[in-house]
Amino acid sequence: MSRPALATAFVALLRRDFLLAYRRRTELLQPLVFLLVVITLFPLGVGPSPQLLANIAPGVIWIAALLATVLSLDSLFRSDYEDGTLEQMALSGQPLALIALARIVVHWLVAGLPIVLLSPLLALWMNLPDAGVPVLVKSLVIGTPVLSLIGAIGAALTVSLKRGGQLLSLLVFPLYVPLLILATSAVSAAVAGLPYNGQLGLILAGMIAALTLAPFATAAALKLSLS
Amino acid sequence: MSHTPFILASYLITTAVLLWIALAPILSKRSLVRQLKGRQKHMDKRQ
Amino acid sequence: MNRFVLFFHKTGSPPWFYRFAGKLTPWLWAGFVVLSACGLYLGLFRSPPDYQQGESVRIMYLHVPAAWMSMMIFALMAVMGFIALVWRIRIMEVLTISSAPVGAAFTLIALITGSLWGRPTWGTYWVWDARLTSELVLLFLYIGVIALYNAYDEPRKAARAAALMAIVGAINLPIIHFSVLWWNTLHQGSSFSATGSSIHPSMLWPLLLMAGAFKFYYGANLLGRARLRLLKQDHRKRWVQELLAGESD
Repeated sequence: MSRPALATAFVALLRRDFLLAYRRRTELLQPLVFLLVVITLFPLGVGPSPQLLANIAPGVIWIAALLATVLSLDSLFRSDYEDGTLEQMALSGQPLALIALARIVVHWLVAGLPIVLLSPLLALWMNLPDAGVPVLVKSLVIGTPVLSLIGAIGAALTVSLKRGGQLLSLLVFPLYVPLLILATSAVSAAVAGLPYNGQLGLILAGMIAALTLAPFATAAALKLSLS
Repeated sequence: MSHTPFILASYLITTAVLLWIALAPILSKRSLVRQLKGRQKHMDKRQ
Repeated sequence: MNRFVLFFHKTGSPPWFYRFAGKLTPWLWAGFVVLSACGLYLGLFRSPPDYQQGESVRIMYLHVPAAWMSMMIFALMAVMGFIALVWRIRIMEVLTISSAPVGAAFTLIALITGSLWGRPTWGTYWVWDARLTSELVLLFLYIGVIALYNAYDEPRKAARAAALMAIVGAINLPIIHFSVLWWNTLHQGSSFSATGSSIHPSMLWPLLLMAGAFKFYYGANLLGRARLRLLKQDHRKRWVQELLAGESD
């Protein structure tokens, strides 16, 4: 496999996925609206006390991000699986991991990045103190790719199943626990004036590990689902 | 607070769970064997 | 070909495995009964109540071995799953998925006994301490593997998907454990240890005996479930027909 071929394949996949995403852009808004609605439910459910909201803000925002991501993951491979495109891609001779990576990159750009961009608004609604907001954004910038990467494994494992979506959440939520703990700790630490770079560093390390490993696990899962 | 009900409950629940996990495949196998033998007898009769 | 390699190849044949496991299983059950009888006797009647926790420490003889098993079985599932995926050995697929319910049961036992132990000693049925929280996440991982297996129609594909999930879960397990441990030190003042710094031999023996007993239980249960699964999957094949005709099981 010569290097130019790999790169051109990757770019071609990116182009295709962006085009498909653009055509489904209303569909892509749904998880984001969900994100906003869920955040809104919290003050309604626990009361608008500013101190309470501020205390739970890091966790609530991150959990809402998890939920919204899982919603958007379900359709990651589904339509390509159903119309046979995925099979063709698997037979194409290009490494399946590359195809998976391209899909994950686009997923992050259309589903994860918007969450990052919305986070200041969410911080405002949840009364997160100003000290926490930059760290919240940073944690989301490096954390949402992890959500996409690990989530892709779950999506690939469940793509051939009829009720795959619910099972997907069950599979990936335990795997998201360390990220949730580290990210919320970083934000809370920032609010309290304590150091938070350790947590962010660990998330970054996790992201790099996921970036190298998850595409291969996703490829194995896709091969399995296609078999 | 007496600790006995907690100790008792722990041992009882553990026993119950382990019993259930141990018995389930055994019972399942008996009914499967019965079912397969019945089907085999049926097939033999038809032949 | 030496005996070990020959044995390994033989286990790949379902009828051979079925017969071999059938012969081994009663011994494993016997081992379980003997070890747990000794362990329970020592634990309930021959060991002292704890200096701090009183009689409730006797729950430890169930809780700790169950927790150990819950983790050991998941690790084994991942290893067997890896072998199953890489070498496509069907017996390994069967053994992997047959381990999941037993592992989940031990996790459940660890959680419930931990909770019951917590009430008299710490005053509450549930506390988000590192160990209990990790065990809870482990239970969700088990449920996920089982649910994934059941969602697939085709057994071999299902087993491979479950194996992949077990491997991914096992890799994450240490990460999850350490993150929860660290999270716990942030959110709790004191950390609770099971028995203090060292275990007196009169407590150590029942603990180890119960741990051994549970291993025998796992072995016996695993082989039983594996045999059942083989029967179910191969019910049309000749070896099963002959088996049914020959003996009453």
